[in-house]
Amino acid sequence: MNTTFSFKRLGLLLNRFFIENKQKELIFWGIAILVFTLMHEPEPATIFIYISGFLFAARQFKIFSYTPSGMHYLLIPATHTEKLTASILLSTVYFFVMSLITYCIGNIIGTSIINYVLDRSMPISWELFSSHKVIGMNLMLEPTKNQFWELLTTFLQVQSVFILGSLYFKRNAVGKTLLTFAVMGIVFGLFQLFLMDNIWSDIHNAGSSISMNVMMNNSAFMKSMDKIADIFFYLLIPYFWLVSYFRLKEKQV
Amino acid sequence: MIEIKDLEFSYSPKTKLLSDLNLKLEAGRIHGLLGKNGEGKSTLLKLISGLDFPKKGQITVMGFDPGKRYPQMLQEIFFLPEELPQANLSIENYEKVYAPFYPNFNNEQFNRFLKEFEIDSKKSFMNKLSQGQKKKVMIAFGLATNTKLLLMDEPTNGLDIPSKGQFRRMVASTINEERCLIISTHQVRDLDSLIDGITVMEGHEIVFNEPIENITKKLLFKITERNENDNDAIYTEDTLRGHYQVCENKTDEESKLDIELLFNAIISDKNRIKQIFK
Repeated sequence: MNTTFSFKRLGLLLNRFFIENKQKELIFWGIAILVFTLMHEPEPATIFIYISGFLFAARQFKIFSYTPSGMHYLLIPATHTEKLTASILLSTVYFFVMSLITYCIGNIIGTSIINYVLDRSMPISWELFSSHKVIGMNLMLEPTKNQFWELLTTFLQVQSVFILGSLYFKRNAVGKTLLTFAVMGIVFGLFQLFLMDNIWSDIHNAGSSISMNVMMNNSAFMKSMDKIADIFFYLLIPYFWLVSYFRLKEKQV
Repeated sequence: MIEIKDLEFSYSPKTKLLSDLNLKLEAGRIHGLLGKNGEGKSTLLKLISGLDFPKKGQITVMGFDPGKRYPQMLQEIFFLPEELPQANLSIENYEKVYAPFYPNFNNEQFNRFLKEFEIDSKKSFMNKLSQGQKKKVMIAFGLATNTKLLLMDEPTNGLDIPSKGQFRRMVASTINEERCLIISTHQVRDLDSLIDGITVMEGHEIVFNEPIENITKKLLFKITERNENDNDAIYTEDTLRGHYQVCENKTDEESKLDIELLFNAIISDKNRIKQIFK
């Protein structure tokens, strides 16, 4: 054992999670199948994955809410990188894969029940995994975006934020993280408005709204802006992981 | 094993909890860390294990900076806090999860200690055990890790009377030349036959750190009749059986160490004690 990354220790940390939470996990995934059986349309399924996902991520470092447990965790002989990697793997890869597996099971069961009850032969829809259509409002603006990729990247963004939140806030991590990001969102939104007002003030319609025609007409400009925004949001994922790493490293109990 | 130089620590900028603290602890000994409430004993244990970081000064544990929390260091430290962590696991699973992190963990020893503590079933869930039983499991696990450094904060709190004796026997059986055990406690009577070095904290600093053999060589613990008072005594305690006194041992007389009396003597006249042990 040394300070370089050890897959053996990472395995032990993952094993620790599964042994400690075996029962809770089985119950949760059972409930998830039931939920997906009832709601296997892509939109409610996506919302369920996001919400349960951030609740799961926010629990990752809940251990620090009780000081002796936090002490016990920090003294586990593994590096901070290994501890954080274990939490990231669990809240992203494990949770996402399990969500998709339970979605598939729920989708098959749900569709079969509907077909049986209503005496139909409706095919099972795999729209959630579609690589063309985007769910909801974005469809108009981004018709070529890969829906599954969107689901995955948004999920990763949300998880990285809530992992950081669970390290920052000792208690009520979910509420406090939501509140913090709501405040940050408002500030960011106001900043955007300020920028737009300054850049496109000449096309203001009597100060009431900004004409969207300019954007729709200039699709190349819009696409490049969209790409920049995408890159910015993708980069937020490793950024939040990095901040979480330093937070864990500097954690004192 | 442990070297602390000019350590300073505080939880808030206004009040210093530890200041200019210097300490050196060797392996092969069981050190008793004594002090009044709020002197910073538990904090010192946390600083040694890397759970808190010093504001100033330096701590070296087995050649490591504990604040880095390197796995090589952590696998050689076991810290038993006064309040125990929550674990929703059976004893068997607790061992399965945590023992592989400690390369010198001895499963046979763990089972033997559990048996001595009369914890029969490893299937029992940790969170269903009483506080005392849970402490026994953690003590048994901590001793079985065979780490070089074992830190225990009030280990006998919550243990029943027979278990305190078992605890002393277990600890005595596991200590060796390479191992260092630091026990922070107020229950000095539970441990007076076990401890072989005493460290006292007073006024947020270390005022006394001596091995037992030095203490009994330089100090004399005696009981005198109530009417014969030794005016030269460092500390006197009036009891129905007579005066319990701590005096300077000028005649190389042998006496049995009374830790409680020693502690009170240090607190009442630390300058004189410091002078004697200079």
